[in-house]
Amino acid sequence: MDFGLSESQEMLRKIARDFFADKLPKTLVKEVTGTEKGYPADLWKDMAELGWMGLILPEEYGGSEANFADLGILIEEMGRACMPGPFFSTVVLGAPLVLDAGNAAQKKSILPRVARGEIILTVAFAEAQALYDTASYQAEAVKAGDAYVINGTKLFVPDAHVADYIICAAKTGRRATLFLVDARAPGVKSKLLPSLGAERQCEVTFGDVRVSKANILGGLNKAGTYIEKMINQAAAAKCAEMVGGAGQVMEMSVTYAKERVQFGRAIGSQQSIQHHLANMLNDLDECRSVTSRAIWMISEGLPCAREVSVAKCVVNEACRRVAWLGHQIHGAIAFQQDHDMHLYFKQAKVGEVAFGDNGYHGEVIARELGL
Amino acid sequence: MDFRFTDEEEAFRKEVRAFLEKELPSDWPGVDPDMYHEDAFDHIHEVSMETQKKFAAKGWLGLTWPKKYGGQEQPLWKQMILEQEVTYRGAPGVDAYQFIGGLGDLLLQFGTEEQKEKYLPMMVRGEIKCATGMSEPNAGSDLANLQLRADLQGDYFILNGQKTWQSAAHRAQLAPVYVRTDPEAYKHRGISIVLVDYRTPGITISPLVMMSGLEAFCEVFYDNVKIPKENLLGELNGGWKVMMAALSHERSYGIMLIMNIRRDLDNLVKYCRETVVNGEPLSNDTKVRNKLADMASQLEVARNMGFKMNYLALTGGDVTQTANQIKVLGGVMTQRVAALGMQIMGLYGQLGPVGGNWRQMDPNKDKWTKLGGRTKHLYLSTVCNTIAAGTTEVARNAIAGGLGLPREPKPAPKK
Ligand SMILES: Cc1cc2nc3c(=O)[nH]c(=O)nc-3n(C[C@H](O)[C@H](O)[C@H](O)COP(=O)(O)OP(=O)(O)OC[C@H]3O[C@@H](n4cnc5c(N)ncnc54)[C@H](O)[C@@H]3O)c2cc1C
Repeated sequence: MDFGLSESQEMLRKIARDFFADKLPKTLVKEVTGTEKGYPADLWKDMAELGWMGLILPEEYGGSEANFADLGILIEEMGRACMPGPFFSTVVLGAPLVLDAGNAAQKKSILPRVARGEIILTVAFAEAQALYDTASYQAEAVKAGDAYVINGTKLFVPDAHVADYIICAAKTGRRATLFLVDARAPGVKSKLLPSLGAERQCEVTFGDVRVSKANILGGLNKAGTYIEKMINQAAAAKCAEMVGGAGQVMEMSVTYAKERVQFGRAIGSQQSIQHHLANMLNDLDECRSVTSRAIWMISEGLPCAREVSVAKCVVNEACRRVAWLGHQIHGAIAFQQDHDMHLYFKQAKVGEVAFGDNGYHGEVIARELGL
Repeated sequence: MDFRFTDEEEAFRKEVRAFLEKELPSDWPGVDPDMYHEDAFDHIHEVSMETQKKFAAKGWLGLTWPKKYGGQEQPLWKQMILEQEVTYRGAPGVDAYQFIGGLGDLLLQFGTEEQKEKYLPMMVRGEIKCATGMSEPNAGSDLANLQLRADLQGDYFILNGQKTWQSAAHRAQLAPVYVRTDPEAYKHRGISIVLVDYRTPGITISPLVMMSGLEAFCEVFYDNVKIPKENLLGELNGGWKVMMAALSHERSYGIMLIMNIRRDLDNLVKYCRETVVNGEPLSNDTKVRNKLADMASQLEVARNMGFKMNYLALTGGDVTQTANQIKVLGGVMTQRVAALGMQIMGLYGQLGPVGGNWRQMDPNKDKWTKLGGRTKHLYLSTVCNTIAAGTTEVARNAIAGGLGLPREPKPAPKK
């Protein structure tokens, strides 16, 4: 076994950490959170230039063919920096789906533009009545000649308000099919939901949206398998993001415990604070190692439904605890909005319910146990 | 032993309930005992001030206070029932900074006759709003470290320095402010309390935004502020004694937190009965049922502890230990209910407007918002319930002290 990073991974981590330290101060995170768009456009360009959009894409599409574990490292750094923007929806959700399910023409049309940072993708799957069970979706695509006409409403669609393409899972008979939809096509409407953190989530309504048959992704009635795989990978990547955030909470808390003086001594000399920090470290280390394992398995192409679900269950609970304790150690100062801590508190909660909460992943584990 | 309420108690409870039913809009979503909603939003503030007048007309402000100051000289149990009912209903208008272990009680205990005659009747008539000025950037848990200077010059104290995290300061007129009157004396020996009219020249109040998005606590800066010397509350340099009394009052805040969060649990139960997931109401889900049952049990225990504290207070027992226990319990319970709500609501828990109050709901944006976004607000807002009015850690230290455990060694005095 090897819990360590390779040299190139260490380097990626360092580049990413320095990049965010330089380009994304928390003041900027808070500033863009207040804007409609929700992220800094310059940052997006810079990241594309670093080759991050195409990190795991094949060279023929302008990517650098790194593996999923490398992407995990990058995403952990993004979590640590509390990076807002459509990276996750484009690079973790959309692009792999196109790579996986798309035909040659679709891949050629979409992926190089992703790698160059020219387009933003997202995936619209969850609905009010069914989050992940594609067979129960109500949004429907009805055949009309050479095209399909989509009607329905999708919820919690990340970054749809800035997306160029929305991959929509819509019912075609008893099963669902993936459609590559131009986000600006007539009838597509994205509306921001009043969400919790720096992330952007939308309600997307499809009203008589005509999509050519050529824009079916992965074949008719095939959405189920692809969405399942996407959620599995996204859950693992979300864990990496949350671990990144929790790591930052840990660091901030240790630093503050050393600096903050009350009763003539650093609060970190109080054993109640020391125990909080020790508990946080236990949580963090458990999260990090269980997440690394899950991500490594994806990277190696091994079956890992159970390992990913175990990771998500553990990380969901632990990162929430870490965020609470981070606040507890900081006292009133971090209850102020101008402090950074609450960004992580919110990030942990948003991450927890994204791509499966413990109800969902607990069920996966139970199934895997043969229950 | 007898765990029933008397007929008299029940009758008063009914009276309070009927009053609240009549006076509050039927869809009143409830404000919290921390009063942040009222202090953050103008329109809720207005309702709050109107309701305060109505409580005054009922004679329910200063219910236990002497008649000569406008009070009703009613027994303490009535005040307790009033607080419980008002809190459970989420009614605004009973300003904790005056009436629930607030300035009123301090005045009665430590005020001069002139001070009592000046301020208590104003409070009883529902005319003012108060705050409390303890914390400073470097004096949070360690209050004795406060540095706001008050130098006696002739007939005035001259105040220079800063307070922070002052809830309600931007709405209030009056606050007991904890100041340093003898910089030479060791920490707690040089502290006094002065009654500050926030409209005095030289005071700058700048509201801070909370992580929940509400603007309900403030930094308060003092620049050569002249406070009449007769505004000293208690003895010069004798502020520590007053502060200890104030803090022990503040801890009964725990029971308010518990009463308040019961409303949220009830709403959550309702939500689970009405929300259908995969063709079944959530309330049919065994996991959900168990979690709600567990939370209800915990809250019953917590409330019972609250009643025990009241019983101790009514029978003249020492409430210090129980009050600390309940402060811890209250803070933690609100966080647990908030976390459970978020868990049950899943993705929907993330949604809602700042403050999570239906009065801020935007029909366009909030189409998918459930329970008025209350759970989201609660999740963010309850973070401070284990910090404000004394942290959980410090309360636990006090509980341990109450067990007679040896104290931690103190660092040597600076001087
Ligand atoms: C929402 C809100 C409203 C408030 N309203 C008011 C108000 O109206 N008026 C007012 O005067 N103040 C108010 N406060 C301030 C409040 O009283 C302080 O936040 C509180 O006393 C803690 O101080 P602190 O935040 O500086 O934390 P610190 O004292 O710096 O504590 C930081 C951490 O160290 C721990 N710690 C400190 N000392 C010890 C110890 N001896 N042993 C173990 N652990 C320790 C604490 O428990 C905490 O976890 C408010 C605070 C909040 C959050």
